[in-house]
Amino acid sequence: MADFSIIGKRVALVDSAAKTTGQGKYADDLSLPGMLIGKILHSPYPHALVKKIDASRALALEGVVAVVTGPDAPNKYGILPVGHDETALAVEKVRYVGDNVACVVATSEAIAERALETIDVEYELLPAWFDPEDSMKAETDWIHPQRPNNVEKDYHHVFGDPDKGFAEADLVTEHRYIAAEVTHAAMEPHCTLASFEIDSLTGQPGRLTVWSSTQVPYYLQHKLSIVLELPMSQIRVIKPLVGGGFGGKSEVIPLEIIAAVAARKAQAPVKITYTREEVFWAHRGRPRTIIDLKTGVKRDGRITSVAAKVIQDGGAYCSYGVVTILYSGALLGALYDIPNIKYDGFRVLTNKPACGAMRGHGTVNVRFAFESQLDEIAVQLKIDPVVLRRRNLLKPPCVTVNNLRVQSYGLPECIEKVVERSQWTARKGKLPAGRGLGMACSHYVSGAANSIIRSDMPHSTVNIKIDRDGGVVVYTGASDIGQGSDTMVAQVVAEVLGISLARVKVVAADTDLTPIDIGSYSSRVTFMNGNASLRAAQDVKRKIAGAAARKMDCAPEDVIMRDDLVWKQGAFEPGSNGTGAESSAAAEKGTVQEVSGRVEGQTLRGSLQQKRKEEGPKDHMSFEEAVVSAIDFSGALSGTGSYAPPQDARGGAFKGAGVGPSPAYSYAAQVAEVSVDRETGEVTVHKVWAAHDCGRALNPVSVEGQVIGSVWMGMGQALQEEMVWKDGLLMNPTMLEYKSPSAVESPDVECIIVESVDPEGPFGAKEASEGSLAATIPAIANAIYDAVGIRLREAPFTPERVLAALRQMKREAKALEITRGADPTQPRTFREHGGSTWYKGKGPQRHEQDPARREHHAEAVAGDD
Amino acid sequence: MSLPAFKFFRPRTIEEAVEHLARHCANLQVLAGGTDLLPSMKQRLFAPAYLMDIRGIEELNGIHVRPGLGVEIGGLTPLSVVEDSELIRRDYRVLHEAAKTVASPILRNMGTLGGNICLDTRCVWYNQSLQWRRSCGFCIKKDGDLCHVAPGGKKCWAAFSADTPPALLCLDAELEIAGPRGFRRVPIKDFYTNIGDARIKLVHNEMLTRVILPEASSGWKGSYLKLRIRGSIDYPLAGVAVAVKQNGGPIEHARVAITAVNPAPLLVAAAEHALVGKHIDEHVATVVGELAAKTAKPLTTSALTPEYRREVVKVYAKRAVLAAGSN
Amino acid sequence: MRKELIELRVNGRTHELAIEPSELLLDVLRQELQLTGSKRGCDDSSCGACTVLVEGVPTLSCTMLAMSCAADGASAPEVTTVEGIADHGALAAIQKAYGDWGGAQCGYCTPGFMITVKALLDHNSHPTEEDIRHALSGNLCRCTGYTQMYQAIKAAIVAEQSARTT
Repeated sequence: MADFSIIGKRVALVDSAAKTTGQGKYADDLSLPGMLIGKILHSPYPHALVKKIDASRALALEGVVAVVTGPDAPNKYGILPVGHDETALAVEKVRYVGDNVACVVATSEAIAERALETIDVEYELLPAWFDPEDSMKAETDWIHPQRPNNVEKDYHHVFGDPDKGFAEADLVTEHRYIAAEVTHAAMEPHCTLASFEIDSLTGQPGRLTVWSSTQVPYYLQHKLSIVLELPMSQIRVIKPLVGGGFGGKSEVIPLEIIAAVAARKAQAPVKITYTREEVFWAHRGRPRTIIDLKTGVKRDGRITSVAAKVIQDGGAYCSYGVVTILYSGALLGALYDIPNIKYDGFRVLTNKPACGAMRGHGTVNVRFAFESQLDEIAVQLKIDPVVLRRRNLLKPPCVTVNNLRVQSYGLPECIEKVVERSQWTARKGKLPAGRGLGMACSHYVSGAANSIIRSDMPHSTVNIKIDRDGGVVVYTGASDIGQGSDTMVAQVVAEVLGISLARVKVVAADTDLTPIDIGSYSSRVTFMNGNASLRAAQDVKRKIAGAAARKMDCAPEDVIMRDDLVWKQGAFEPGSNGTGAESSAAAEKGTVQEVSGRVEGQTLRGSLQQKRKEEGPKDHMSFEEAVVSAIDFSGALSGTGSYAPPQDARGGAFKGAGVGPSPAYSYAAQVAEVSVDRETGEVTVHKVWAAHDCGRALNPVSVEGQVIGSVWMGMGQALQEEMVWKDGLLMNPTMLEYKSPSAVESPDVECIIVESVDPEGPFGAKEASEGSLAATIPAIANAIYDAVGIRLREAPFTPERVLAALRQMKREAKALEITRGADPTQPRTFREHGGSTWYKGKGPQRHEQDPARREHHAEAVAGDD
Repeated sequence: MSLPAFKFFRPRTIEEAVEHLARHCANLQVLAGGTDLLPSMKQRLFAPAYLMDIRGIEELNGIHVRPGLGVEIGGLTPLSVVEDSELIRRDYRVLHEAAKTVASPILRNMGTLGGNICLDTRCVWYNQSLQWRRSCGFCIKKDGDLCHVAPGGKKCWAAFSADTPPALLCLDAELEIAGPRGFRRVPIKDFYTNIGDARIKLVHNEMLTRVILPEASSGWKGSYLKLRIRGSIDYPLAGVAVAVKQNGGPIEHARVAITAVNPAPLLVAAAEHALVGKHIDEHVATVVGELAAKTAKPLTTSALTPEYRREVVKVYAKRAVLAAGSN
Repeated sequence: MRKELIELRVNGRTHELAIEPSELLLDVLRQELQLTGSKRGCDDSSCGACTVLVEGVPTLSCTMLAMSCAADGASAPEVTTVEGIADHGALAAIQKAYGDWGGAQCGYCTPGFMITVKALLDHNSHPTEEDIRHALSGNLCRCTGYTQMYQAIKAAIVAEQSARTT
């Protein structure tokens, strides 16, 4: 194993003190003089034409500055070039309950909220579509007229010869699996602050600055440019601290555009912060998914063929949908060796908030189906699920049948590790009644090899500037959203330059200062921005080493930089008057004192030159000294590096081949231990052993945090998280009713890091933040089967579903009464039990009692005391 | 989300509070812990012209032994204080068990026993923002005229979702209520209406001041089991409280009450008969489970199907009886 | 509604403020006093990101009127926010430990956890893992799965102890 000084060490995030002291600023913590507050009016209807918006009553209120509506910014945008179907505010129609209709800008939140109640909107209702399988049959009233039958996109891929594969199989298993819709629920509600500055030349509003809770500052800048018809050069996007993303901030969210449009109209800085309910409506989470999965295997467990039909309930806009539905198919490959694959994917529009990218984008629900089905196959073939998986391993380096290039492949070791730690062999099948073990695997991309906006530009670029003080400033477009990318960048640069972390200052995610980076999503940052950082650091290191070599009279290759020292290989042994880092740090301190005049450039140079003359060529020097000499020799000291995925990792040439290829894949294996209460159906997850192949753990604390967090989020989706819909109405748009797990029921997760050292990753690193999530859901499903013998094919595994399945298994009469007739072991369609009469009737406008129709009671109050 | 505007009072005495109540009646809302009222005000479920924070009335905060009477708990006593009281844990076990399951530790620091007793009923069609409720055309409990849970019906079925009242029912607690004509006492079993949108028998000019746990209920064994999805934070989706008096021999007295499955917390009437004179065993416990399930009338007011919640009432009642016997 | 003049005591300092009765303590802290460490994560008193201490008791500042914390005859109750936790300008043990052990990822819930953990350790210097789990259960975190927080809290306890003995 390589000997690193910074890489692989457990280091605190560089911004951790800002977070634990409350000093760090998130978007909503910012304010500007004269700042106004924006509040958005949302549609009460799932599908309706907007006939008329009358905001005159709102504008008459004291403190209301402007009301913004669709025509103020009618240009269409969308995160994908093929999916420009959104406008900032409704232009012609609304497409889901919660769609954006108007925005009030006022001097306070309270005034803006009151003003929303006075805006009169006239709607004409249209038939609405809530179930994707119904929606696909729609002949009229399409959600977007350019999308016939409400199908956003469908793909039909055939790799190898699936029919032949099934014909050769000894066992073919086929089932329908369903997964409910889940959402990111990041702790920070989205927030955007937008401000125009007056242009000195024209005297008119000129440059726009936007502070926003975004994972993708560059894309935000790009979409703002489209909607506002401003050149990108006139737009600066700054990402402050972001309170979690998980994909929910990986595209342009309506408030980001609306705030800018509102700032333009109100001629003042405008901040919009979503309520938690609005966060749920903005959504972009993981769609409800129907998976019809068929797997053929030989008697020994070798997979011969896989066929999957996937229908995603995408909501009312494209969002990342086309990518999601492609990932669902593409990542059937690259985990196991599957010779033949047939994939039919349908991304369907419905009158619900748009689904988008969420942690494990596109792969999670299909992986749930696949790994559950493998477990069923193992049972039928009487093969240990571990053995079954081992019989289907890839043999890298290789290219899969669907053109995915796999190089590093830590899956075998991941499986080995979780089997060992969970004592699988000794305990499987031997636990007390009602308790069981289940295993599953998963994988994920380390960034997409093809960016969503096709171009030849690098996916990441990083600049480094070093001044005479030896301070290293790294300019990176990577967006730290809590995953620790700033720390990763600092570590990579510090390792290459052989300096301590404290020397490195990371300036990140500010489009004026930092080079283009396509953002924090698809787990691309460590691999791509890490590689760009590595190259930038190597670039600047070359200059320093060159200068140092001249001073030490040696070849640049013989210059070693480490522990804030620079020395000539062989001629000097750091810590020779002591050992380890402490002594070299002490040595460094001594050197620093010697050249204490270093803040005064001239004095320093004079003293150093004098010193050198006196001492002759030296065998070592401090990092500062080397930096100063490099600047003296070659002028300003800066370095740059960029990364673009290699051509041979970019996949095939078929339609839709762009999604799925990645320069490297992470691998994960998990064992979950659960117990099931047979009387109530309640499931407890006691422990999850999670092994994750991240190539190399640059910072093990962060890797463990990401893996544990992924497993935990997967557990939430497996057992308790679900967006509950009734006729397009989200029934649980609150943190109280959307059941993100509390500390009490959160399982103990043991993270085992596996390092396969990827040949192209920075120091061998791959992704760590998403790949583990997908394995957790089937691991729990399989453990439930092991515990009580029921095969749940519908997630989440709520206690009512578990109990219904238990009773169904015992052939109890009316077993399915408790799930109102739905069989969670044989799910057919999405159920929206309950439901209301509201939409069938005349809807909201029939109600005389709507508080908006009543006079505000303020007068009464004022007249009383 | 901002709060609607109101005028604010902070009385220091019960008399002062009652005066405000008498003057402003229906226009005034009493604020104790605020953990239910303030979020509901953000959702515009309430927009009172006057808000009266009674936390300054110190005499209503604390647990006191009243010899010959029992134990008196001030309505403003935080639930965490009830939970941590050694006296309550020892002598009124079922209340301790129920108090410690309410919401989360932070919310128990804030929420009061009086507030828990007076908790508004809950329903997925009701506990939503104004904007949300507009999109469903409102409901019979607030601003509308139809019930989404039982379409066509005229009754509100919002579920009473507090944890301590079933325990207090088991203890036969009395409530002290202050009003313009002084104090009155009402047994907690007569306090609730079982009507979702008019849940308690408290007139606008009255407020709950104290809870009295009778001496006769002291020393009863008890347990409370709560169905919820998370191990913390959540309101109950079903809850069963059991208290039994036993002195080495068979059960002398017993009460079983359920919550979150009706518009009121309800005593399971026949349970006492089923338990008294018996020793606690699986069979007796199962019988009580059946009886409790018969009393439960859950509807689609919350997460999980009503049919499931009813099943759980059956199982939890059985388990609570067995647990009460062993503590 | 007319503003009223109130006196608030926050992190050991007294502030005189003109506020509307309907203003929440959270908003006053964040907007009037610029103490933006306390966060708003939900609107229904369920997430704990806004937790502050009121007279040493963890309290949701989003579910507390500023008026209710104002001086009223007697002196105002002491409100402690995350900004008041650092130890004379240096990180308190628990703050350091949360950084070192990965207890904070995105950091948005962290101020609330800092307050909750401080209150826990103030009352119970040797909590069991079960005590810790239950004490933390009123604060939601979406990044960590809580596991690394337990390690951080244990490390902070050890650090506190060794600081006391030296």
